[in-house]
Amino acid sequence: MNLLVLYLLLLKASVTSFSGLGSLPMVRDDFVVERHLLTDHQLNMAVVAGRTGPGPFGLYLVCVAYAVSGIPGAFMGFLALITPAFLVIPLMRWIGARADIPRVRSAIRGLLLASAGLLLSSSVPLTLDAFTGVFSVILMVASFAVLTFTRIDSAWLMLGAAGAGLAASLFR
Amino acid sequence: MNPQSPLPSVEKLTEIFFRIGNTTFGGGYVTIGMLGRELVDTRHWISAEKFDLAFAIARVTPGTNLIAFCAAIGALICGVAGAIGAVMALTAPSSALAVLIAYGFERWQGNRIAMAAIGGTVAAVAGMMWATIWIILKPHVGGTTWKGMARNLQVVLIAGGAFVASRIFGLTPLPIILAGALIGFLWKDAKS
Repeated sequence: MNLLVLYLLLLKASVTSFSGLGSLPMVRDDFVVERHLLTDHQLNMAVVAGRTGPGPFGLYLVCVAYAVSGIPGAFMGFLALITPAFLVIPLMRWIGARADIPRVRSAIRGLLLASAGLLLSSSVPLTLDAFTGVFSVILMVASFAVLTFTRIDSAWLMLGAAGAGLAASLFR
Repeated sequence: MNPQSPLPSVEKLTEIFFRIGNTTFGGGYVTIGMLGRELVDTRHWISAEKFDLAFAIARVTPGTNLIAFCAAIGALICGVAGAIGAVMALTAPSSALAVLIAYGFERWQGNRIAMAAIGGTVAAVAGMMWATIWIILKPHVGGTTWKGMARNLQVVLIAGGAFVASRIFGLTPLPIILAGALIGFLWKDAKS
């Protein structure tokens, strides 16, 4: 795939999202549904790789780009990941002066809610892909509960899930 | 800003972002908390008010909030060079590590033990995605008062509408996000 096109597709996903995984719906739309460059399983693996190490959750974009075009692609993914961040500098001046306007706050809220709805839409096929039986459901529910109701670091959660997957395979 | 704390060099600032950004697991909120402890409480390089402003504006900056937050803090402390240094120090090493992990996943595709472990983490990530959705929605859910119910209705209509538009009608995300912002702008939140 042309690296510039790859960069622009990832930049589009990155610049239209407002959280690390917020770009997932657009990435899935472009790379899985429209262009068939990745399968849902590959996208899932990219998300896992991005969340296994330290750093922001948005790192999965680098892994998506790596899965599509190798190391040069990963570099494009990295650029697409960091480019929008620098918008914060002019925004600090512009929004800083308008952040208290109720309609601006309300528009931002509408945008966040729509992002959550889109993330919900993307999570359905990825959850179905991750489903391999009762044990995977237990892990999903446990993961949800740990992140929602405790302050346990997600790194421990990932390690625990890997260990549980291993243990389950030994007992099969 | 504490006047007794001289501003650091770009190198020193970059070092802090490198250390905290690449050793903290758990995503944006955890890393931001660690940076606050170091930059505001320990080193007094930035005031709590400016730290909070950077956090709020990073939340509405397109892209990954944590990276925008680092750019904002870097810019506030050391200007544009500080923003570039902070972002690079936070993301470059962890991106390289993520690629190595992705490469490892590819190599281990045929290994039964490795795939069992990866299968466990894939299921955990699915659960994490649902938790992320709840974390995004939770602050916007109101109570059982009339105003709270109006907020809840807005959550259901915008988030639910976005879900239906994407999942059922197959609309692409960009118009859905823009529609969400427009609805929010026109339908002013009761709390606003």
